[in-house]
Amino acid sequence: MAAPDLSRRIFLARIGVLGAGALLLPGCLGPAATGTDLAELGLGALVDLLRPVLGQLARDTLNGFVAFSVPGPDDYSRAQGTPRPEPGGIAAGGTDFLIQNLDRFLPFPDEIVRPAAAALVTALADLPLPIAGKLLGGILGPSVVTIGLVENAVLFIVQNDSAAPLSLPVALLLNYVATVVNPASLDGAFLSPFARLSFADKARAMQQIETVQSGLVALIDSRVPQPLQSSVSGLLQFLGGALYEFAAFGNFGESQRFDPATRSLTGRPVGWQLTGFLPDNQTGDGWDELLGYYQDRREVTDA
Amino acid sequence: MRDVIVIGAGGGGPVVAKELAARGLSVLLLEAGARHADPRAEWTHFENDANNPLTGFLRFGPADRTKPAWFRELPQNSFLFQVAGVGGTTQHYFGNCPRAYPGVFAGYDGPDAAAYDTAHRFPLRYADLVPYYEWVEATLPVQTAAMGRKERTFFDGCEAIGLAVQTTKTTLGDSFRPQQNAILQPGGTAGLTRDVTQLAFPQATGCTLCGYCLQGCMEPIRAPRNLFAKRSTDNSYVPMALTADAWSPGGVPVALIADAYATRILTQTVNGQLVATGVTWRIGATGEVHTETAQVVVMAGGTTESPRLWFNSGLPNPNDWVGRGYTDHYFDLMVGLFDKATDSSRGAASAARADFPGHGGMENIGLGPALQAFAMQLSDSGARGFYSNGRGFTGPWDGPSGRPIGPELKDALQNGIDRLLNLLILTDDDVEAQNRVVLSALPADEHGPVPKVIFRPRNRTARTLANREFLVRKATDILRGAGATKVFRLDWAPLILHVQSTMRMGMSADDSVLDDTAEARWVKRLFIADNSALANALGGPNPTLTSQALATRTAEQIFQRYFGGAPWVTRESPVVSTDDRVTQAVIARGL
Repeated sequence: MAAPDLSRRIFLARIGVLGAGALLLPGCLGPAATGTDLAELGLGALVDLLRPVLGQLARDTLNGFVAFSVPGPDDYSRAQGTPRPEPGGIAAGGTDFLIQNLDRFLPFPDEIVRPAAAALVTALADLPLPIAGKLLGGILGPSVVTIGLVENAVLFIVQNDSAAPLSLPVALLLNYVATVVNPASLDGAFLSPFARLSFADKARAMQQIETVQSGLVALIDSRVPQPLQSSVSGLLQFLGGALYEFAAFGNFGESQRFDPATRSLTGRPVGWQLTGFLPDNQTGDGWDELLGYYQDRREVTDA
Repeated sequence: MRDVIVIGAGGGGPVVAKELAARGLSVLLLEAGARHADPRAEWTHFENDANNPLTGFLRFGPADRTKPAWFRELPQNSFLFQVAGVGGTTQHYFGNCPRAYPGVFAGYDGPDAAAYDTAHRFPLRYADLVPYYEWVEATLPVQTAAMGRKERTFFDGCEAIGLAVQTTKTTLGDSFRPQQNAILQPGGTAGLTRDVTQLAFPQATGCTLCGYCLQGCMEPIRAPRNLFAKRSTDNSYVPMALTADAWSPGGVPVALIADAYATRILTQTVNGQLVATGVTWRIGATGEVHTETAQVVVMAGGTTESPRLWFNSGLPNPNDWVGRGYTDHYFDLMVGLFDKATDSSRGAASAARADFPGHGGMENIGLGPALQAFAMQLSDSGARGFYSNGRGFTGPWDGPSGRPIGPELKDALQNGIDRLLNLLILTDDDVEAQNRVVLSALPADEHGPVPKVIFRPRNRTARTLANREFLVRKATDILRGAGATKVFRLDWAPLILHVQSTMRMGMSADDSVLDDTAEARWVKRLFIADNSALANALGGPNPTLTSQALATRTAEQIFQRYFGGAPWVTRESPVVSTDDRVTQAVIARGL
């Protein structure tokens, strides 16, 4: 078993934080950084530095999921090996849709999001690690102090941010399961390990979340105090399905083209283009669809 | 003190309110969500704007859309499809009004009597409910649905497999038919044009076949509210309730308060008997708390919400059946792809059905692209071709059950939203104690502890599972008969939408909450008039009509038992909700 400090580093790498930090905060979290550099920052400053990094990480991760839902001609679809010439979820604004709904409106109470996210973060850190040592090469630089601070900062953010941004723990979870199904996803293009996966590996990653018997579910349950244990694992099972359903709903819906001020569309939504919905863009107040009545019967009675 | 307080202005509450207001009682109707008094100014036809479960105007949440929706705990892969606001789930329902199968009622002795949920029959006979069915069917009114291309496609499939045609309101055997829908059928230019300049009332009357039943009905343009095509209660019973003085001699208009969330039923003990005495509610916009007393209280907040309110009010539960016995028709979805037009997204959302008494039924359903995609991602069988969650059933459909993902989903939908046909499977599912509503251990909201809805889809009775398998095979045959080139079986995770029987009336006091008049067994002057009062899953037919018929009967029972009145349903003729007296009052009062 890895030593505690190594576990933390590996864990932070697996949820994408170290990689994103190294790219977006050069000198702070990269291999060259010293523990002293970050220790001098203090938790508060580090949280401020990390928050936008984590936001970008979440977006990159969900880009990977949205392309998985409906592939198109974008980089994420190409990376997963299923590029398509027609627009897909990325072009439909599916990522913004997911982030907004997860962060602003998914009505999970803060009181459950925070402990659940914290449980997720701490539980994942102790899962068995099927990662070859050489793959960790570039991420083992920061000192024990640094790693501890970074982990504390992530925990601080998921536990304390007033808006309880659910997109972040969801992204961290996707990145974690990505490294489970393919450890090579620790390194490569994009910030997010999940976004680096092939289409088939993304499906395997989702299987980790959705499968009822998943060890992940049991482990997270074990980190949450009663009486919430079964609730957290149940919510995770709910989340597995909901990610698929919500992404599809957003990708094929009108939200990107909807102007709430005028309650009208600013253009033809991608989902309408793809499905041929309302081909002439008419307002939808009626169709010349009446073929009559079956067997000309207008009324039935028991008499 | 009011005569009656009704909690919930959904499918059932307004029925009781309207019937008792017509008798001259003072009735207060509370609705937790918004009152959409001017749909043309508040609604659109867009799916995300309407149906997003977190932000849509038809979500389950406060009237103020800037506030988050109400959280309900679902400890399994599932989706609880609730709707707040005056009209409740009838705002998005399809208006389908089949009657329950006779086999689910007491005294049924047909040759297939053993084929139903025999342990949980209604404590009344089918014939006892027929007058109330007829009353509601005349009031809404319920009419035989017109046929568009997707119905024609469905009928082609039914004819191809030799299924009989049903020409009665009572379902007597395996058969198909146009729906009996609570929708005013097309008149004038409606159904004949897509030109919006030709589709305003009164040039167009009734259903314009716009395809947006699920987004709330506001057709035809400029029609008075009670003449909108779909007879959701916000377009039928609520306008009648608010104008009871205009069309019923001695009638008293109902007082309606929206954004009013009932948090507690008040009780006191009288002569050793617990009696309901009033209701406490909270106004969402201000947080103000109000209490009023009443001679009778009627719970009608819904199949998930009524158990919650019961628990949060500290009411007794001596047999532990409060919240238990949740039935949901254990839906499944079959999607057929065609190489010809089906016009699935157009016309009334569901205007055709097939019934198989003893097993359940099915109906065609039309959806827009976002909800079609949503519907094709809901599955308990994982991702087709990648993982099956231990299921991945094979059968006459193509490939294993499960959600098509990525390129396969895109290919299916690029085939065309109007070149597919959905068949919704309505399983006759058994009342099971394990499927239930309890209070969540998660933090309470401003209305108290929240409900947790527990379903165990993999542990349902053998009869329920067999019924679902029977129906998905029939549906596949129908889709193939209609010419489908590819058939998907989604194996839906629980989509908790047809909701019944959590506060069930029953023949036995051991496994029911209500007696045969829908009064609570352990709290007098407390009645229930939503789907939770239903004794069982009706055999599979859509529940709203039966719930409304039962609510009409409950109103009569209340009037006789506690107000010394006489029954009216078998003695009088109903006033139809489109009656000109209602229309004129709606216009004059700006309703």
